[in-house]
Amino acid sequence: MGYDPKDPLKDRITDIGPKDYKEFLPSVIKENYGKWLYHEILEPGVLMHVSETGAKVYTVRVGGCRLMSVTHIREICEISDKHCDGYLRFTTRNNVEFMVDDEAKLKPLMDDLEGREFAGGSKKFPRGGTGAGLTNIVHTQGWIHCHTPAIDASGVVKAVMDELYDDFQDMRFPAQVRISLACCLNMCGAVHCSDIAILGIHRMPPMLDHEHLDNMCEIPLAIAACPTGAIKPATVNGKKSVAVKNEKCMFCGNCYTMCPSMPLADEEGSGVALLVGGKISNRISQPKFSKVVVPFIPNEPPRWPSTVEAIKKILYAYVDDAKKYERLGDWAERIGWERFFEKTELPFTGHLIDDYRFAYTTWRQSTQFKF
Amino acid sequence: MTKRKTPMLDELEKGKWPSFISDMKQEAEAREKTSVDLQTPKECVDDLLGLLELTYVDKVVHWKHGGIVGVFGYGGGVIGRYCDRPDEFPGVRDFHTMRVNQPSSKFYSTEYLRQICELWERRGSGLTNMHGSTGDIILLGTTTPQLEEVFWELTDNLDQDLGGSGSNLRTPSCCIGKARCEFACYDTQAICTDFTMEYQDELHRPAFPYKFKFKFDGCPNGCVASIARSDMSIIGTWRDDIRIDQEAVKAYVGGELKPNGGAHSGRDWGAFDIQKEVVDLCPTGCMGWDGSKLNIDNKECTRCMHCINVMPRALRIGEDTGASILFGAKAPILEGAQMSTLTVPFMKIEEPYEELKDLVEKVWDYWSEEGKNRERLGELMQREGFQKFLEVCELDADPRMIQEPRSNPYIFWKEEDVEGGWDRDIKAFRKKHQK
Amino acid sequence: MGIEEDKQLIVDTLKKKKGKTKFYLKDFNKMFPDRKPREVKKIVNQMVTDGLLEYWSSGSTTLIGLKGAGKQHDAEADE
Repeated sequence: MGYDPKDPLKDRITDIGPKDYKEFLPSVIKENYGKWLYHEILEPGVLMHVSETGAKVYTVRVGGCRLMSVTHIREICEISDKHCDGYLRFTTRNNVEFMVDDEAKLKPLMDDLEGREFAGGSKKFPRGGTGAGLTNIVHTQGWIHCHTPAIDASGVVKAVMDELYDDFQDMRFPAQVRISLACCLNMCGAVHCSDIAILGIHRMPPMLDHEHLDNMCEIPLAIAACPTGAIKPATVNGKKSVAVKNEKCMFCGNCYTMCPSMPLADEEGSGVALLVGGKISNRISQPKFSKVVVPFIPNEPPRWPSTVEAIKKILYAYVDDAKKYERLGDWAERIGWERFFEKTELPFTGHLIDDYRFAYTTWRQSTQFKF
Repeated sequence: MTKRKTPMLDELEKGKWPSFISDMKQEAEAREKTSVDLQTPKECVDDLLGLLELTYVDKVVHWKHGGIVGVFGYGGGVIGRYCDRPDEFPGVRDFHTMRVNQPSSKFYSTEYLRQICELWERRGSGLTNMHGSTGDIILLGTTTPQLEEVFWELTDNLDQDLGGSGSNLRTPSCCIGKARCEFACYDTQAICTDFTMEYQDELHRPAFPYKFKFKFDGCPNGCVASIARSDMSIIGTWRDDIRIDQEAVKAYVGGELKPNGGAHSGRDWGAFDIQKEVVDLCPTGCMGWDGSKLNIDNKECTRCMHCINVMPRALRIGEDTGASILFGAKAPILEGAQMSTLTVPFMKIEEPYEELKDLVEKVWDYWSEEGKNRERLGELMQREGFQKFLEVCELDADPRMIQEPRSNPYIFWKEEDVEGGWDRDIKAFRKKHQK
Repeated sequence: MGIEEDKQLIVDTLKKKKGKTKFYLKDFNKMFPDRKPREVKKIVNQMVTDGLLEYWSSGSTTLIGLKGAGKQHDAEADE
């Protein structure tokens, strides 16, 4: 039994879809499905949901890394087997949730999670990420596995979360803060509606390896890949190649995907942009996009100190000044963006004024501004 | 211990937040010691650490894309990667990702997770993402010959299929829904699984001009971000009254119940003030508090969820529940980021979801006919206009669909809109008007 | 037209294209102006199963070409 490369279609099964979620529900969840009345956050990272049957489920939420080894997953399984009858859940933000059906089971579970550390000394299962505080950062692959990233993802996230660790375990913010990271502007991790978005950007047009381009790439595909039509066929030193109209380049890297002879990333050219003030929920104000407030910060591996510093400035200016329930974007709109730059001490530069499509709608067409 | 020196990465072992570097190192060590007959290079995690260290020094990525690799007959589910320094790091020479379709809202049994671990330890790198941005389990890194082997074991032994990539339907995803949330207006998990099964062909084989995403949010809080991240956003809502327990409201006012379910308990915000924190913050001003009774003018409510979020034990969503259907969200390139546009204000969401599937198929047919290569649905809607989109959906215009009416009068009238049509007689005109 | 003729038409059309070996799904629709895109998609995907065509994925989009054709193929297939 098993796959036979000589007869690849033997016993081949396709189009069977995912596992049925019903197989994976802990019994307290299965029995109270659709019957939940209300919930309460007992302390940071600990939720209690109460059903109309009187049943309760206690959830312990811990932060996790998106990048996770099978050794680590097996440890999660071991904890779940010990405390949670062999069930658990992941959230959309890379947190892990352990659930028990009895308050008495909570403390042993929490103690067990608390005590586990990696060999390097970091916590394996930090509890938190609930309520009006900071939750885990969702992110993309970065240097670990993407081919067009401008920045790393996991490393930047680690550096930021280390600095903001206490706020992951607290609920002292005016409202929840969602930080997200996408390692290039294709935004696999659509970060465009986050309270704070860390975005990798390139600033140099692709290099052209004219010597090998025609051998490695299909030129019409490279041309078609460009969203702004900046690439044209060209003959260089008698060889078929392409030319790039640099002023039309939006630095997306789509041409590099099609043609490895057009590398884009650069030690100096690639780095971080920060966007703020987006949200997804319809609570009080409508969902809104994040806005660019820092156009560029150089890549500073391994711990990206300037990026971390800028995020802290933005976050704590907001935390100190916003009203209860105000999301970061609501706060910035209330005080005005001129005041936002003053309070966060971020420099405002021409790069922050929109010059892409529909730019006009973001310019001020009134005399109502603050000095 | 890992073979390679990684001084830069070692810096990321410090600090309290879980270190992915420490985790990778423990996996590298486990591979060194294991008795499992590994089908992929034993040193692949070591080599990945080495490659990442090199990237930290160079600040320029060392991966190339590979487009051909996949499992036979599927156009999605595998992302090809080749390292550009196989000389130094042969263990990650070819290091492809497989996307595995996650179960609705990501509950797992440890039995199942262990099967995945066993498979991926032996036939992959032993590294995963739990989970990727769209929601799939990401199996990170294996060699080309192992792709079919992994697929065979997933389908034959684990009863588990791959997720989507490329110009396919992408793996649908949903919030936790009725499994553990009192705000769920419909069964997000059930419909997410149903749609995933119904559209397996579209999920595995290229079907459209570009990617297409469904996301199912159970309420307007939007925990899976469908309004920002999916071409079709199904967001739970209700059309009757918010249920009020006046005694519980009083208990919140009197301080016996913790407002916000305790979400703000990390700071002393003072005593709970229902006027200031609920009534005055209501975006439609449809609430009133007279000191003993909370009134909601439900007809004016836009279901923003704020009051319910603040007082979950006193206020509950209505009972006539369903969903709003919105279309066209996407991340930036090319036309810039877009959010979804409200197209069907309310629809009941009940099995077998025929009304919704009819709508999906109308939209897909239109997009497949009219969409340009690599044009997301939202961009087509922008290019051809929302009126056209409503025609496609066979829906009448409704003021709920817009933020405000147009401010320019440049209406593209059609002949059939105008009484008498456009066919006129110039001779009759000349009888009244000289040249 | 029968399914075999449809497939032959696709193969012949692709062979005629000079310098380009990968195509979007929409390019196949143009070969069958009277058919619904959904029908064309079925033929194309069937031809992949038959081993006549193959997919090439950028991760975000999928291209389709004759099996074994193209420069990317040479670059990737040196296993």
